[in-house]
Amino acid sequence: MLPADPIPGAVVERFPPGRRSRFVRTALLVAGILGPGFITASAGNDVGGIATYSLAGAQFGYRILWTLIPITIALIVVQEMAARMGVVSGKGLAALIREEFGVRIALVTMLGLFVMNTFTTSAEFAGIASASEIFHLSRYIAVPLALVLVFLFVLRFNDKIVERTFVVLSLIYVTYIFSGIEAHPNWGEVARGTLLPTLDLKDPAYIGMIVGLIGTTISPYMQFYLQTAVVEQGARPGGLLGTRIDVINGSILGIVVAAFMIIANAATIYVFNQAHPQHPIVIAQAADVAKALEPLAGRFAETLFAFGILNAGLFTATVLPLSTAYLICEAMGFEASVSRKFSEAPVFFSLFFAGLVIGAALVLIPGVPLLKVAFYSQVLQGLLLPFELVLMLIIINRIRVMGKHRNSLAANIVGWSTVIIVGAIALFYTAQQIQSGGS
Amino acid sequence: MAYQDGYLSDLVGRSAVLPNGTTIGRVTDFVVGKPDDAFPRIDGFVIKTKAGQRYSPIAQIGSIEPHGTVTLTVAPEAEPAAEEQALYLIKDLFDKQIVDVDGRKVVRINDLEIANTGGTLRVVAADIGVSGLLRRLGVGRVAPQVLERVPRSLIAWDNVAPLTDVNPSQVQLSVSGSRLSRLHPSDLAEIITDLSAQDAARVVKSLDDETAADAFEHLDSDTQKTLIDDIGTERAADIVSEMDSDDAADLLGELDADQRAELLSQMDDKAYAGELSELVQYEPDTAGGLMTTDYVWIYPHRTTAATIAKLREIAPESEFIYYLYVTDPNRKLLGVISVRKLLLALPTAFIHKLMDVDLVSVSPDVSAEDVASTIARYDLLAVPVLDEEGRVLGIVTVDDAIDAIIPEKIAHSLPRFTRHHKKNPVAAG
Repeated sequence: MLPADPIPGAVVERFPPGRRSRFVRTALLVAGILGPGFITASAGNDVGGIATYSLAGAQFGYRILWTLIPITIALIVVQEMAARMGVVSGKGLAALIREEFGVRIALVTMLGLFVMNTFTTSAEFAGIASASEIFHLSRYIAVPLALVLVFLFVLRFNDKIVERTFVVLSLIYVTYIFSGIEAHPNWGEVARGTLLPTLDLKDPAYIGMIVGLIGTTISPYMQFYLQTAVVEQGARPGGLLGTRIDVINGSILGIVVAAFMIIANAATIYVFNQAHPQHPIVIAQAADVAKALEPLAGRFAETLFAFGILNAGLFTATVLPLSTAYLICEAMGFEASVSRKFSEAPVFFSLFFAGLVIGAALVLIPGVPLLKVAFYSQVLQGLLLPFELVLMLIIINRIRVMGKHRNSLAANIVGWSTVIIVGAIALFYTAQQIQSGGS
Repeated sequence: MAYQDGYLSDLVGRSAVLPNGTTIGRVTDFVVGKPDDAFPRIDGFVIKTKAGQRYSPIAQIGSIEPHGTVTLTVAPEAEPAAEEQALYLIKDLFDKQIVDVDGRKVVRINDLEIANTGGTLRVVAADIGVSGLLRRLGVGRVAPQVLERVPRSLIAWDNVAPLTDVNPSQVQLSVSGSRLSRLHPSDLAEIITDLSAQDAARVVKSLDDETAADAFEHLDSDTQKTLIDDIGTERAADIVSEMDSDDAADLLGELDADQRAELLSQMDDKAYAGELSELVQYEPDTAGGLMTTDYVWIYPHRTTAATIAKLREIAPESEFIYYLYVTDPNRKLLGVISVRKLLLALPTAFIHKLMDVDLVSVSPDVSAEDVASTIARYDLLAVPVLDEEGRVLGIVTVDDAIDAIIPEKIAHSLPRFTRHHKKNPVAAG
């Protein structure tokens, strides 16, 4: 017989939990506040995003800032749908597409996602290459170094550490805000540009830029990534409010960072070009911005910007191939986890390696037109976005998936109009890109 | 009915015709009335006609031509049963996740294999491999030789535990529950960790208390907490009642005070609840936090024969029986005797003559490292934890002591059998 003397059963409060140190607890708390919504929005401000926002500021000055407000609303609507689907169904978007639409549509979506994300990864490595050249480091050293760094980072550490590091890396995006302030903008002009919409329909470049801003801010992989992150975080329908707040905060913070990139370039390059129309500074890619900032805003601004590009490149070059491999395996039913051995999850690791290595290799092959690669990734993105948004809207209206959390009529009206507008613009942008790319 | 064995993806979408040759629609789904069977029988086909969905019981299926049409003896009239009344193979299972009990992992169904057994069609296996994917994509029709070269991976249906809430009215998951309980608890815990929160809660609800408790002991605290939120404290109390006291106390320690009080008050075994609320007070990384109250104590004035008889009676209930702790009625520790010594001694020998009185013990506030080094220095399997008056509070076993001091990374690379008390199964994603 066991010693069964009942010890008087009062419930006694436990001493402060000792398993985790105070520091770790605080860090976890911060990571909890800066949830998946924030990380996703940061991943959206990738090298391509930096290039587009910088270009917008350099070409059009403060008057393009107002477009960020409707873009924010559209971003929040789309991201909220993805987060809600994750919370309610407990499944990632790729898994839901497979379960609701079957093998064929899932495969087409996943193929599109893989090609698009691999090209985008390449654009990230291109950013790493040009930013490290500002620090006088050859791309033939910088890109392999970055590749090894990403490999080690993903394979050596467990999922939790990888996730926390993403949070910290996301925080580095705040440096753009300092770059913007460092550029000493005319704050009155900033306020007017933000609050007063100006629409010059006769200027095709201006319209094209608005379309480009939408295209680069709302990209398909952000919905896939967010929904998976929300599911992994274990959010519950009861905590839907918290998830929504996180998504809204993340989207707004991401756009604020974007706004300061526009401001930094408007205050320097745009103002310089207005004053010196004979010798304007031409911006073709993200690293040009950093170089252009040096004489105008000082060495500090240049370094900050170059560092920001490096960070964005490394961050997104890690997130994209990893999440793409994960999503494809999720949809197709293959084992997927970085904590497995290669032999346990061969498809997952092969897809991850392929995405990463192809992405990096494209940058190193002499004569590969990097701008074309970036361009085709944008085209694919534009084609995939409307397709993906329609699938999302169909799923989010199915009772058997969403129950009482399916879209209300009002949410559907907002959702469908956002999808139609964003989708139409994405298609228009794509058509425009193909036209300009063909010429 | 003439039908050779085959795959469901090959049957779905075929034209349904009447004996006179008129086409009335397409086969869209298959109805199973008793999903709990080892190999469930298909009771009828769903035909999509111009007038809507119609149900054709299997008796009215005349013939199924290879790669051709499905002939019905009469035009179907009835509407198919409501979604929650029956299992619809395509809608409920195609593309959905299941647990492969034999392979111990979560997989996705690409196709279902069916067999004609004495005139009835039965689901015999789930196709989870690449060949199933290719077949679904129509590769079989375009390039059958490619499909034949791809190795198949099928799971016999009695090894499949579905996760979808296919038939709530019939407590459908009982079959999943009993199949899942065949798994080793640490494998089951790993599967639960791999599932989405909703699926995980559904799986735990389908398990019996004892299986769920074993699995819980192997789950990390985050997963434990979300599961308790989802299954409710009432069910959680039943599960905690079946857990070892050290693991149960760890779990309770991670809950907030209100939830812990609620859970403890809902436990039927009040004595155990009291014991646990006592254990919870100890810091997790101390002897008090590591110890279990599940040890065997005996009286000094018994003979070895009587003690062995007693041991035989209680051993099945007890996890650790290799050391027997000799105490007075107040549970004050007098000595220790190993089972080996007990078995080798004469049946008439008295315990107090045999027992080891050179006692090694620790107090509850000793750190985990010190407990482990004490165990290592004296080559023990367990060390008793005593209060200031020398009474036994519990014991720390060698495996729990090792777990507490080995960093998680190394614990993972140790062979599987050393990971019996693994606290953190590999996280998904």
